Amino acid sequence: MGSLKQMAYSQNNRIRLLFLASLAKGLAMIGQALFFVWVADEVFLKDAAFGEVMPLLAALLGVILLRAGASYAIGRLGVTLSVEARRRLRRELIAAYKDNPLQGSIAGQSGRKVGLLLEAVDGTDGYFSKYIPQMIQSYTIPLMLLGVIFYLNWTTGLIILITAPFIPLFMAIVGKRTKQKADEKVEQLAGFSGAFLDVLQGLTTLRLFGQAKRQSDTIRDNSLKFRDSTMEVLKSAFLSSLTLEYISMLSIGIIALEIGLRLVVFDSITFFPAFLVMLLVPDFFNLLKEFGSAFHTARGSAASAELLTEELAKSHQPVVWGETPVHAPVELSLEQASFQYGEGFQLEPASFKLEAGTSTALVGVSGSGKSTLLNVMAGLLPATSGRLLINGIPQEQVSEDEWFGQLSYITQDPYLFAGTIKENIILGTGRVVALQELMAAAQKAGILELVESLPGGFDTMIGEAGRGLSGGEKQRLVLARAFIKKPALLFFDEPTAGLDLHTEQVLQQAIEELSKEATVVTIAHRLHTIRNASRIIVLDGGRVEAIGTHEELMGSFSPYRSMIEAQQGGTQAWVN
Amino acid sequence: MGELKTVFWLTLKEKRDVALAVVFGFLAGLAGVALLGASGYLISKAALTAQMTTLVVMAASLKLFGFASAITRYAERLFSHRATFTMLGHLRSNFFERLAPLAPNIFQRHQSGDLLSRIVGDVESLQNFLLRVLYPPIVVGMVLVATVFFTSFYSLPMALAIFVGAILVVVVLPAFFALRRRKKTHATGQTRGAFSAQSAEFLYGFKDLKIHLALDQKSAELQESAQRYEQAQQNEGLEENRVQSLNALVAFLASFFVLATGAYFVSIGELPGLYLAMLVMVSLGAFENVGPLAALPAYYEESRIAARRLEEVVDEQPDPSTGDMPEGPVDIEVERLSYRYPNDGRLALDEITFQLPQGSKTAIVGPSGSGKSTLLQLLLKTAEPEKGSIRFGSEALSGMAQENVWQRMNVVLQENHFFSGTIESNLRIANGQADAGQLREALELVQLGHLELAAPVYEKGRNLSGGEKQRLAMARAFLKGEQLWLLDEPFSSVDGVTAQSIYNELFSRHPQDTFVIISHDLSRLEDMDRILVLEDGRLIEQGTYQELMDRRGYFHGLKKIEEEVFA
Repeated sequence: MGSLKQMAYSQNNRIRLLFLASLAKGLAMIGQALFFVWVADEVFLKDAAFGEVMPLLAALLGVILLRAGASYAIGRLGVTLSVEARRRLRRELIAAYKDNPLQGSIAGQSGRKVGLLLEAVDGTDGYFSKYIPQMIQSYTIPLMLLGVIFYLNWTTGLIILITAPFIPLFMAIVGKRTKQKADEKVEQLAGFSGAFLDVLQGLTTLRLFGQAKRQSDTIRDNSLKFRDSTMEVLKSAFLSSLTLEYISMLSIGIIALEIGLRLVVFDSITFFPAFLVMLLVPDFFNLLKEFGSAFHTARGSAASAELLTEELAKSHQPVVWGETPVHAPVELSLEQASFQYGEGFQLEPASFKLEAGTSTALVGVSGSGKSTLLNVMAGLLPATSGRLLINGIPQEQVSEDEWFGQLSYITQDPYLFAGTIKENIILGTGRVVALQELMAAAQKAGILELVESLPGGFDTMIGEAGRGLSGGEKQRLVLARAFIKKPALLFFDEPTAGLDLHTEQVLQQAIEELSKEATVVTIAHRLHTIRNASRIIVLDGGRVEAIGTHEELMGSFSPYRSMIEAQQGGTQAWVN
Repeated sequence: MGELKTVFWLTLKEKRDVALAVVFGFLAGLAGVALLGASGYLISKAALTAQMTTLVVMAASLKLFGFASAITRYAERLFSHRATFTMLGHLRSNFFERLAPLAPNIFQRHQSGDLLSRIVGDVESLQNFLLRVLYPPIVVGMVLVATVFFTSFYSLPMALAIFVGAILVVVVLPAFFALRRRKKTHATGQTRGAFSAQSAEFLYGFKDLKIHLALDQKSAELQESAQRYEQAQQNEGLEENRVQSLNALVAFLASFFVLATGAYFVSIGELPGLYLAMLVMVSLGAFENVGPLAALPAYYEESRIAARRLEEVVDEQPDPSTGDMPEGPVDIEVERLSYRYPNDGRLALDEITFQLPQGSKTAIVGPSGSGKSTLLQLLLKTAEPEKGSIRFGSEALSGMAQENVWQRMNVVLQENHFFSGTIESNLRIANGQADAGQLREALELVQLGHLELAAPVYEKGRNLSGGEKQRLAMARAFLKGEQLWLLDEPFSSVDGVTAQSIYNELFSRHPQDTFVIISHDLSRLEDMDRILVLEDGRLIEQGTYQELMDRRGYFHGLKKIEEEVFA
C-alpha cells in the first residue's frame, strides 16, 4: 500500500489541489452553518426585517455553491488522479512485458497477465478515487471544525477531544474482527459462486445423465443456506456500525447536555454560538465515520496493489542487441551457451556450429530442452553464459531488426491476430505487398484455393471474432507468411498429430523449398525429417547428448539407435 | 424496465422482508429527521426560557430519536439484505431451469468460454437491484412526503419548497441521468473488451510479433487501446461525480429556500420564530438521505444490462420434440447429412451417408477439423442438421426429445465435467441405484481400482490427471448400462496398452452392444467392424481395417504418416 501512496503523491499538483479544495469545502461547511444560524438568530431573536437578512441569505447561497463546487472538484480530482495513476501502472506493465524475453516462452502465464492488466490495475481504483480524497479531507476539515468549535465554546472542544478518539479506537478493534469475518465470507461467497459455476459448467454432463431437474432445487436450497450464513456475518457487521453510531450519538448527547446546561441554567452562552456548535459537532463525527468506510475501500485495493508490485519487481534480463547488419546466408554457432530460469529448467552449456544452408534436426523426448535451445538460438532468450555467434559476430553486436528480419519461426500452434487474412500474411513486412506476390505465397503454402473460396478472399476477417481456422489451415497460413518474408534462417516445430494429408504434403514441400535458400533448424518428430537432416542434435534432460548425421548416430550412439528402432518396430512394412 | 421484469417479480416474492425493509427504512429516516427537528426546536426554546424541563426534554428526546434512528437503520439493513439474498437464490434456480433445456447447444453457439462466469457475475451484480435501485427512491420519497406533510402544518410555502426539491432529487434527476447514461453507448464496456482482446493478442502472440518485428507497433496499439479504455472510464467517473454533486447541490438549495421562505414569513410575523430553526433542520434531515440516489442511475443501468444479458442467453425455445427412441437395440441410418456452423460459408459435413447395424463396432477417423465431432453432435441431437436425416431404428431422430435419446446411450465426450465432491458422487450421476460393489466394478474395469470411492474430487476434476478423468468418464458410461455407446476420443490421454485392455474388456463384456468411437489415433482399429474416414466434412472411405489398408488410399496415407511420427 506504501507504493500506491507514492504513486498518488507523485501527482503532486492534484494532491495540492485536493488539499485546496478540502480547505474550501471546510470553509464552506463552516460558512453554511454560520449563515444559517445567523439568519435564524436575526429573524427569530432580533426581529430583523427580511431586507436586513437578504445579504446574509446571499452569503449563504454563496457558501452553498462553494461547498457544491468544492465537493465537485474533490470528486473530479479523485477520478482523474485514479485514471492517471492506473494509466501509469498499465504503461509500466506493458513496457515490462514487452522487454521480458521470457514472455515468448512461458505462454501459460498469458491469461494471468491479461488479468493483471485489466482487473488488478482497476482494482486499485478505490484507493485513488475514494481513499486518497477522503484521507485529505480528514486531515483538514475536522481540524478546521474543531478550531471553530474551540473558539466558540472551548468546553465542547474538550469533550470532543476526549470522546472522538473512541471512534477510531472502536473501529480498529471491532473493524478488524468484522473485517476478518467479512473476508472469510467473501471467500465463501467466491466458493459459493464457484459451486454455481460448477453446476453450470457441468450442465451438459448433468443433462446427458438426466440429472438436470434435480439440480434446480439444490441450487435454491444452497442459495438459501448461504443466505443464512451470510446474514450472520452481516448482522455482526451492521451491529458494529450500530455501535459506532451509538458512540457518536452519545458524544453528541453529552455535548447537547453541556450546551443546554450553559444555555438554560448558567446562561453563559447565547443562542448563536450554541446553535452553531450544535450544527458543527455532527458534521465532525460524520467525517470521522466516512473516513472509516473509505479505509475499507483502500484495503480492498491493497490485494491488487500487492499483485502489481510483485509483478513489476520481477527482474528480467532482456536480450541485448547491437547495430551490425546481418547478411544472408546465415551461419550460426553456439559457444558454451547455457540457459537457466530461476530454479526451473536448465539448459546445460552447448557448443556447435550450424553452417549456412544446412538443415539440423533437434531430437529428444518432451521436456528435454528442444524448445529452450531453439529459443536461445533465435535470440528470444538470453544465454545465461556463453555466446551465440551470428556469421561469426557475437549476437549482442548484431542489430535486432536485421536479425529478426532474416528469421521465420513456425510453431506447432501459431497465433493468428484479429484482422484479415492478408494482414496476417504480411505481418511485419512493413512494405506494400502486391496482390501477385501475396497470391504466389498463398499458392506455395497451399492455402490459395481456400482463400479464393471465401466470399471475402484475402480480406476475410480471422482470429478473434473472425472466422475460425483449423490447425492445418493455420499452419499453411503461417507458411505463406514465411514465403513472403523469404528468411535466411528458418526455425520449425514439426506438428505431432492431427494434420490432414494435404497440409502434410504442403508442409513437406514448403519446407524443402524454403530450405533451398535458408539455414533450417527443426524440432523433428518425423523419421523422414530426421534422416534427411544434415545434422542431428540429440537432447536429453537439457544436455546435448550427441551430434552427428543419421548414419553416424546409428553407428555410434546407442540411445539414438534404440529410439529409432523402437519407432520402426512393428511398422517396418510402412517405412521406406 | 422490461429487462428487469423477472428480477422485479422474483424480488416481490419476498413480500414480507421487502415490506419490513421499507418500513424500517422509513422509520429510520423519520427518526433522523425528528432528531434534527427536535434539536432545532429545543435549542430555540431554550434560548427563550430558563425552564429545566426544556433541558430534560431536550436531552431525552435527542437520546430517544438517536437511538431509534440507529436501531431502525440496523433492522432495515438486515431485512433488505435478507430479501436480496433470497431473491438471488430464486434467480439462480429460475435461470438454471430455463438454461438447462438449452444446453449444450447454447455453449456451442456462444463460443466465448467466459459465458458461464459472466452469467455468475451478472446474477451476482443483480444483488444491487433491490438494495440500490428499487428501494432507495421509495424510502427517501416516503420520508420526504412525511416531511412535507409535517411542514405543511406550520407553513405551506416551506412545505412547497421541500416538495419541489423532493421531486427533483427523487424523480427528475435520477430519471434524467439514467436516460443520459443509456444514450451514451456503453463506451466503457466496449473499450474494455477491445483492450482485453488487444492484451491477449499482445501476450499470446508475443513470439510471432517479436519475430515479425511487429512488437513495437503492437505495443503502441495496445497503449492506445488502454488509453481509450481509460478515457471511457474517466468519462464515466466524471459523469458519476456530476450526478453526485448535482444531487447534493439540489438538496442544499431546497433547504436554502426553506430557510429563505421561513425567514420571510417570520419577519412578516406569519410564522413564530420559534419554529424556524426546527423546520430548516427538518428539511436538512430529510435531504440527508438522498446520497444513495446519486448512485442509482449507474446501478440501474448495470442491473438492466445484467438482466438483459441473462435474458438473452435463455431467450429461445427449447427443442419441442417429445418422441422416444424405439425399444431394444437399433440400427443407425444416416442419410445425406449436411451441417454448416452458423456464420460459416463452408459445410462442416457434406452429404454423409452410412448405416451402422445394431451390435456393430464402428470407428470414425480423420484429421482434426474433418467433421468427426460435428457428426457426433448431430447423432446426439445437440445440433440440428441443415439437410439429411438420422434414424434410430424405425424412427427419425428429429422427432425425439434430447433427453429421451440420451437416456438410451452411454456417452463419453471429449470434455467431461466432474463436480466438486467425491469419486462416488461423480459416479452416481450415472446411476443413483448402483451399490458400492457396482461402483467398484466400474472402477476396476477402467483400471482405476486404486481410487477410493470416498476420495475427494475438486471442481472440474482438477486433482485428476487427464487420463484419470477420461477413464472415470468411461466408468460412468459403463454404470449407465445402455446398449448404444457413443465415445468421442475417449482415451486420447490414456496410454495405448491400458486403452487397448479397457476396450478388450468392454467389447468382450458387451458383444451385443453397438459402439461408435471417434478417434484421431489410428492404432488399434484392427478389431473394428467398420472404419469411416472423414476429410474436410466428406466421408471419403469406409471399410474394415484390412480393406482400407489394401486400398492404399487416404487412410493408408494417414496411417503411414502416423507411423513416421515420434510422439
